[in-house]
Amino acid sequence: MRRAITAAGPALLLAVLLTVLLAVAAACSGAGGDAPPQDGPDVLRVLAGSEIKDLEPLLAKAAGAAGVKVSLSYTGTLDGAEQVASGGADGRYDAVWFSSNRYLSLIDGASARLSTQTKIMVSPVVLGLSRAKARELGWDTGQATWTDIGEAARKHRFTFGMTNPASSNSGFSALVGVAAALSDAGEALDQAQIAAVTPRLTGFFSAQTLTAGSSGWLADAFRRRTDVDGLINYESVLLGLRTASGEPLTLVYPGDGVVTADYPLTLLASSAKKELYGKLAAWLRTPGVQREIMTTTARRPIVPEVRPDARFGTAPLLELPFPNRRSAADALINAYLNQVRRPSRTVFVLDTSGSMEGDRIDALKQALTALTGADASASGQFSRFRNRETVTLLPFSTVAGPASTFTVPEHDPAAVLRRIRAYGDVLTARGGTAIYDGLRDAYETVRSGQGGGQGGEDFTSVVLMTDGENTDGSSYEDFAGFYRTLGTRIPTFVVLFGDSDVAEMRQVATLTGGAVFDARQASLASAFKEIRGYQ
Amino acid sequence: MKRWIGIGLALALGAAVVLALLLGNGGDGGGGEQRTLTTVRGVIGSEKKPFFDDPAVRAAFARHGLRVDVDTAGSREIATTVDLRPYDFAFPSSVPAAEKIRQARRIARTYSPFYSPMAVATFQPIVDVLEKAGVVRDSGAGYQVLDLRRFLDLVATGTRWDALPGNTSYRARKRVLLTTTDVRTSNSAAMYLAATSYVANGDDVVTSRAQVAEVARTVAPLFLDQGYSESSTEAPFEDYLALGIGKTPMVVIYEAQYAARLFAGGGAIRPDMRLIYPAPTVLSKHTLVPLTDRAAEVGRLLQEDPEFARLAARYGFRTADPKVFADLVATTKAPVPASLVDVVEPPAYDRLEELVSTVEQRYLAGAKPSS
Repeated sequence: MRRAITAAGPALLLAVLLTVLLAVAAACSGAGGDAPPQDGPDVLRVLAGSEIKDLEPLLAKAAGAAGVKVSLSYTGTLDGAEQVASGGADGRYDAVWFSSNRYLSLIDGASARLSTQTKIMVSPVVLGLSRAKARELGWDTGQATWTDIGEAARKHRFTFGMTNPASSNSGFSALVGVAAALSDAGEALDQAQIAAVTPRLTGFFSAQTLTAGSSGWLADAFRRRTDVDGLINYESVLLGLRTASGEPLTLVYPGDGVVTADYPLTLLASSAKKELYGKLAAWLRTPGVQREIMTTTARRPIVPEVRPDARFGTAPLLELPFPNRRSAADALINAYLNQVRRPSRTVFVLDTSGSMEGDRIDALKQALTALTGADASASGQFSRFRNRETVTLLPFSTVAGPASTFTVPEHDPAAVLRRIRAYGDVLTARGGTAIYDGLRDAYETVRSGQGGGQGGEDFTSVVLMTDGENTDGSSYEDFAGFYRTLGTRIPTFVVLFGDSDVAEMRQVATLTGGAVFDARQASLASAFKEIRGYQ
Repeated sequence: MKRWIGIGLALALGAAVVLALLLGNGGDGGGGEQRTLTTVRGVIGSEKKPFFDDPAVRAAFARHGLRVDVDTAGSREIATTVDLRPYDFAFPSSVPAAEKIRQARRIARTYSPFYSPMAVATFQPIVDVLEKAGVVRDSGAGYQVLDLRRFLDLVATGTRWDALPGNTSYRARKRVLLTTTDVRTSNSAAMYLAATSYVANGDDVVTSRAQVAEVARTVAPLFLDQGYSESSTEAPFEDYLALGIGKTPMVVIYEAQYAARLFAGGGAIRPDMRLIYPAPTVLSKHTLVPLTDRAAEVGRLLQEDPEFARLAARYGFRTADPKVFADLVATTKAPVPASLVDVVEPPAYDRLEELVSTVEQRYLAGAKPSS
């Protein structure tokens, strides 16, 4: 069991992640990037889903209370799962901590990399609605079924937000739950049942008007929006959430079942720190800590000695069966992305100025190619340009444009994807950097409806990738003024690359309600891949 | 690293923590004298780890000059893929797995110091519903049983909870199935497979390949149709204890898991929880296979020394002397039967392995077995 401790060297670190490396305990000062771990015997390195970020204050106490300094690195659920299954986490981390190991366990070879799993806490994925909407729909007692919810969704009687099932476990759990409940099957879904339930899923998700790559961003976006009635997310997130007008949500616990996250703290088989792991796991399950988790993070305790408090209600939650084959899980995600969800409209504003010459333009071509399906990994396939999506590529240098627009068809996407790849392959780098002319063109393109695109603004977004400061055309201030006249909420997701003007790029993201992704250390391809979760 | 072992290992997982602390405080005060101990290393099924981590057990071994360090692995892995070279003994949770190792290594003698019947942890409303359906009945020996023949019939027709007549208390649309661990890795699921295969084979132990193919058709849905299942026996039982009837209305466990919680008190077993037994059931006989001479002493102590029997009983295990377990049941007033009547033998290792492999192939095939 311990034989693989030293097997993983820097060579395995190719799987570069967009992780925010964060030393919860002070122990781990120089951590970051690809430095091989050099920790004291009391440091436990944990690769975690961003969902557990709210435990940081508690984990900081583990150093004093349990003698364990926890060093957390965050990653997306699916990226993390692939990293663990491929062995990329071996030697680099001692443990993993996602909201669930279910998808991970379905990947070939993953189980052998995992040692002891210890459940720490529990949260079901349910629906949270504004009080007024819950009352209107007759769900203010908290009682409804997914079938009821799906019926109301199909009739557009409410709207909701949910994370992308390929990026975030809450979205994936919600998708599995809804599919299992709407399907007529009483057992775990297989591919035939998924095909059969797809039309009903399409009705259900026609009411989804907000998506996100992470639960945190989803909650932030929800707080800003007055036109989204609710969210499907963890009970723990929904209990703490307030609407734009500051009122708490009404939680609806579907009577036909839920999928529950159980947050297993999981030792990697390659880690030598078994005892240290045992100490942390045992401490986290002491009644005092369990109560603190419940009080501060609104998750249910896992130890039977600590009973859930009044916030959680008393109704038993039926657990829906979860697929036991990866093919079924992947088929469900694929159906959601390519058939079920409303299509996306995306514009990529791409810097092709002279400074992009060489490695940088190559990285850009590679990143675009990956999104045309060339990345064969599951997360790569889930982040490709989707069937029914309309994509505009808008290069800029001294001037902006011209824009090229592609619509991926509902069936047989390969030909259009090849055309996008061919377009990317011939990009060349020369000239100045007219960032804001490019960005303005992007907004004008989607506003004028050029190149088609259905579904209004809900799933429309802009990606801005630039490697330097604005040198030509309009300024940030010009753009900000223009943006404010639009009355739009189309976000710009900014990719920091090369010598980006970080402060100004953050302004763009804040102005448009987007987000910033850093590709200066990690690869451009992985930044693009992460952004796809938000589109 | 060694310095942690005293504290670190004592802080084992789960309710074992509670047990360990209770026993540790009440108990032997540690055998702290600094004499040299002979270290014996074993690879064991994970359900026995809290026992080996217990300070009282460690102290008892220390009084015999021994220090026992254990790693855990699934019983099937212990019999097949685990490299046994670093270990002095293997201690899987079933006779078939132990027999496989014994034969492969030509070992004369094994030790079966404790055992636990396979049981089903459930809730009173579920018992009521299944009684009405004729699936749960009284054994006539002071406990209730899940009639596996009737249960297999229910599974064969794809019955859902909300389709059971007179069921007003558990209106779930999901199928009536017992929650188990992953049969590909976990012994408790394999023991459930052993019991159900006996019934599916016309009340006879599966002994031939032809029977395996036939029986697998009936029993594979018991595992496949559940959907995702966990790898360790403790995980679904924890769900049962913490999340209750909604997630886990019925879970296959070792009786010891339930009994240990009852013996320890602490309220983990709530008033509406019930322990019933499959009829027939099988015994999970924890069998120690010594690979070196010094491990034989560990096996002998566990099997013959009353102190170890007493300690094992606190973890819910039954031992050779039935009085030890019975006394604990009496003093704690635990609702656990003194003895079980309807017990059958599991298939031999090779047949059981073939059964598991056949189910495994159906996972890989992705096709739903006809049910």
